[in-house]
Amino acid sequence: MFLILIKLAWRNILRNKRRTIIASIAISIGLAALIFGDAFMIGMMENLIKTATDSFIGDAQIHQQEFRDTREVSMTIQELDEVGANLAKEANVQYFTRRTFAPGMIASSANRSAINLVGVQPSTEKLLSQIDDAIIGGGFFEKANEHDIVIGSKLAEILEVALGDKVVVTVVQAKSGDYFEDWFRVSGIYYFADAAMNSGMAFVRLKKAQQMLAIGPNVHEIAIKFTSTEYGQDKQVPFWKTYSQHGNEALSWTEILPQLPKVFAMSEYSKYIMGIVLFGVVIFGIINTLFMSLYERMFEFGVLRAVGTRSFGMARIVLFEAGALAVVSILLGAILGFVLTTIFANIGIDYTGNEMMGVTVQEFIYPVLTIEQFTVYPLAVFIFTIVAGLYPAWHVAKMSPVDAMRRSF
Amino acid sequence: MEQTQKTDVIVTEGVTKVYDADGIPVNALNGVDLTIQSGEFTAIVGPSGSGKTTFLNIISGLDAPTEGKVLLSGKVLSEMGGNELSDFRRDNIGFIFQAYNLIPVLTVEENVEYIMLLAGVPKAERHDRVVAMLETVGLKDVEDRLPTQLSGGQQQRVAIARAMVSEPAIILADEPTANLDSKTGAALLDMMSQLNAETGMTFIFSTHDPMVMESARRLITLCDGQIDTDEMK
Ligand SMILES: Nc1ncnc2c1ncn2[C@@H]1O[C@H](COP(=O)(O)OP(=O)(O)O)[C@@H](O)[C@H]1O
Ligand SMILES: [Mg+2]
Repeated sequence: MFLILIKLAWRNILRNKRRTIIASIAISIGLAALIFGDAFMIGMMENLIKTATDSFIGDAQIHQQEFRDTREVSMTIQELDEVGANLAKEANVQYFTRRTFAPGMIASSANRSAINLVGVQPSTEKLLSQIDDAIIGGGFFEKANEHDIVIGSKLAEILEVALGDKVVVTVVQAKSGDYFEDWFRVSGIYYFADAAMNSGMAFVRLKKAQQMLAIGPNVHEIAIKFTSTEYGQDKQVPFWKTYSQHGNEALSWTEILPQLPKVFAMSEYSKYIMGIVLFGVVIFGIINTLFMSLYERMFEFGVLRAVGTRSFGMARIVLFEAGALAVVSILLGAILGFVLTTIFANIGIDYTGNEMMGVTVQEFIYPVLTIEQFTVYPLAVFIFTIVAGLYPAWHVAKMSPVDAMRRSF
Repeated sequence: MEQTQKTDVIVTEGVTKVYDADGIPVNALNGVDLTIQSGEFTAIVGPSGSGKTTFLNIISGLDAPTEGKVLLSGKVLSEMGGNELSDFRRDNIGFIFQAYNLIPVLTVEENVEYIMLLAGVPKAERHDRVVAMLETVGLKDVEDRLPTQLSGGQQQRVAIARAMVSEPAIILADEPTANLDSKTGAALLDMMSQLNAETGMTFIFSTHDPMVMESARRLITLCDGQIDTDEMK
């Protein structure tokens, strides 16, 4: 019985090839769009996470509690030696680097600008952030000169300075509140698409910064890179508790950039809405296609009913036809989605320079193919198509054979 | 030939059918009382619109009478549920329609096989019965053809094969020769007559072709939804 139903369904959908092609193209475009949309979304998320974490933030950070709110220069990490020693022993920590932050003023002979003066350890900073990769002139603390300063290209433009030019940086010291001024020579210029980084920051050696701020060997931040990105997103691991002691707090990038995970959750949601709208359209297409095909074959249905097919059997014939249409469309859509996504996964999509959720896209977005796109979505399309077939099926099931056969003459 | 006791296969009592044609009631049948016995070869004749199709639809349970009662092999049709009625038709009635009897996307074998599939007959037996039945109706080696690859007469013979393959008690044919030329039509009727004699199945067919009427052994004339004449030959 099963076999004859499949034969009936298959041959009937091949009967009007043009109609079948139009219907299945509509469904398959829907599926392909869903696959591509999902792949793009994943690619974008990965891109944003990578940009956010790799460029400067890292997977996790340790500060003194409330430093992030107050940006108080005196609020340095507590028990720094112990924290540093422990981090060095952590199996999941790949790299970590120390930083100081202080609001300040940078001045050249031409201009002045408010900045955030960042003290860094060049050897580990290189491993953790991408400032060294973004250098477009000079280097990233390659020579052992304590008066070296690395600034963004936009800041260089504002200050009208070039490599080797002299600038003066003024900061406010911890505790005393005294102004402290020192001179630097521009030894490196980087370019970041992110405006805040490109024009609002200046990097000097950690030692120099500590001395200017009069904070001794203390720092404000330790940025950490884990061996796996997932580890940084897992709130269950003991890491967070261990390093949130002594008045410090250890935060994951998901907390440092809370808008990102929120946006991901939202994009997940918008994906469902897109899917539902898409399938709403598809469902009407299928119902329409099936009905057109049914009305042409009323007499046949009448004959099948007359010779003893039960009403459920009649419905089953229509549902098999919907299923056959779904299978054809799914194959077509999966191939289309795969090809489209693969092409863009190779060439990438240029969103660079656009700011999304506070993160400026630095690299091309590469859509990511997943197994779910070719299992869950096709299954959803199949179920949607069968659901769409229910109404025509019900219509045929309750139809009287006499009416069906008379209407055709 | 079987020597069975004659029984009443079809009994109608006061069957009336009123159609509603856009608000206007149409009396298609006006109190038809009729008894048909097993093994009969009966023609229902009458001009177009006299109620032949309506009558055949009602005695096969495809349509319900407005009033009156139909008994088929002793069972009251109106007392059967939907699936019961479907199964009853499948097992007890063979249908031959005027035209387009066959499902165009199914081969001749699949068309004839379909009812046996519904009844759950095993595969090997199905094939044997299809081949035997096609031979009975004078068609050989057409199992794998599609209906469109056959002539009108051949298609009607396949329809006879399908109607008879599950060995129902009754074969109902609504103007089976209407779409055939007179020679082919006559040949088809001869075949049905012969099959009736050989198998003892009850054949009831409608027609308005005088030549076809000749071969009937009982002739019932319908006029305006009533039995006009009823003669045995
Ligand atoms: N579904 C229907 N609605 C309204 N009138 C119908 C319907 N079916 C048949 N009739 C009418 O009933 C009468 C008998 O029709 P029918 O049984 O088809 O006659 P026949 O088969 O002898 O030509 C005709 O007048 C026809 O117009
Ligand atoms: Mg008629």
